[in-house]
Amino acid sequence: MSDTLPDPLTHAEWTAALRDGRLLGQRCGACGNETAAPKAACNECGSREIETVELPTEGTVYTETTIAVAPAAFEGGYRVAVIDLGTEGNARVTARLESDADIGDAVAFSDVLEVDEPVPVFG
Amino acid sequence: MHQARIVGVGMTNFGVHDRPLPELFSSAAFDAMDDAGVDAPAIESFYLGNAMGGQTERDTHLAPTLASHIGLAGIPCQRYEDACATSSNAFKHAVRAVEAGQHDIVLVGGVERCTPTTGLDTPEMTSVFASASHRQYEQPTGLSFPGVFGLLTTRHMHEYGTTEEDLAAVAVKNHRHGTYNPRAQFGSETTVEEVLESPIVASPFHLFDCCPFSDGAAAVVVANEEAAADLSSESVAVSGVGHATDTIPLADKADFTATQSARDAADQAYEQAGVGPDDVDVVELHDCFTGAEVLAIEALGFFEDGEGGPAAANGETALGGRIPVNPSGGLKAKGHPIGATGVAQLVELTEHLRGEAGERQVEGARRGLAHNLGGDAGTTIVSILEVDA
Repeated sequence: MSDTLPDPLTHAEWTAALRDGRLLGQRCGACGNETAAPKAACNECGSREIETVELPTEGTVYTETTIAVAPAAFEGGYRVAVIDLGTEGNARVTARLESDADIGDAVAFSDVLEVDEPVPVFG
Repeated sequence: MHQARIVGVGMTNFGVHDRPLPELFSSAAFDAMDDAGVDAPAIESFYLGNAMGGQTERDTHLAPTLASHIGLAGIPCQRYEDACATSSNAFKHAVRAVEAGQHDIVLVGGVERCTPTTGLDTPEMTSVFASASHRQYEQPTGLSFPGVFGLLTTRHMHEYGTTEEDLAAVAVKNHRHGTYNPRAQFGSETTVEEVLESPIVASPFHLFDCCPFSDGAAAVVVANEEAAADLSSESVAVSGVGHATDTIPLADKADFTATQSARDAADQAYEQAGVGPDDVDVVELHDCFTGAEVLAIEALGFFEDGEGGPAAANGETALGGRIPVNPSGGLKAKGHPIGATGVAQLVELTEHLRGEAGERQVEGARRGLAHNLGGDAGTTIVSILEVDA
């Protein structure tokens, strides 16, 4: 794990971290809200006082769907899930789910899938 | 402030249309203008909804193009794009312009083609629809739009016990309504068994839980109370329009089952109209997927949270039920040409309030509500129309 985290957190740095097996996010200094999809300001309170944080790589399935009819460039028959990372600031990440886990089941960041660009895989 | 009124309505059949967008739109626009009894020189501004013409048909800067096709060149024209809430947003801006006294009479409409007549097959069109999800944090996962609502609905099923049979009952109800609507894309009934036996598109949705790809156009003429009084057409008042958004991507929403933008937009519309859910007689809402209707009837206050699941199966949302929802057949059976959908809801409600809805007429309807959702509930616009206001 790196000692210094990128500030501000860009999409390029977020994807680079994914490829290193790390999940980065942001915490709002004003309200404590957290996101795993970095932004230029907090979507809860609008504050620009946001710091980059290392997010947990374990969580639980918050919701999931199995996509059969897929967008072009994808082949149907895969699962997409929103993973609740269990943090105080309520960070969640959208990910590929490569297991039969249901809502509430524990899952871990296990891989990176690259069709268009990298996405986290949980299982 | 002026009182905005809908003075004329028109729409094409929804289904497959092998005509360029200007020709398709002209049918709906002329029907609305003729219904209102206004000629082109009386129209002071044109508000257009088109969501995807640039991606699907390489056709942009559409507002002046369409205006020129129907004799309106010269007036201010503007196009709105908010995913599936596109033409409701055009309507909102038209209403506000009339209320503010900026224009006396305006044309609002939407047009879209989403079927294979565009040259795009299902994976390509699925990809275009998916462009309404977050480009960096959702699209790379392969999330489709049925998948977006699959995520919301699966959570609702987990929290409240909503079942696949509950969802299927929405499709059955809306297909039945669609059989009474000559403009609907699907004019045949279905059954819970047929829905559950149809192939999965994105769980929990089977093919028959999903609205179709559709082509079509819809238009309304909006006027202030003075201009409306000078016309011979029967007008209805626009008594409230609410417009709210929620966080994108989906993962950052506080509550997946609330569809918060719908609640916020409904609060605004109810407050502006000075009414509540119990005062509404007929509803057209955004049932792009059966689960979306369940979420919407709760967000709009017609059912308590968690109680929207069995509503269709119990007949409460059917024609003749406590609160008729989607008498047109909804997006599910009537069809969903993205940019035309919001205005088409207003066409349907206006016909009910005029008593002109034929076999699907909600008897004695005096107040109607339209709910039009864009993206992953990222945008919702709620409009209330009334006979008496």
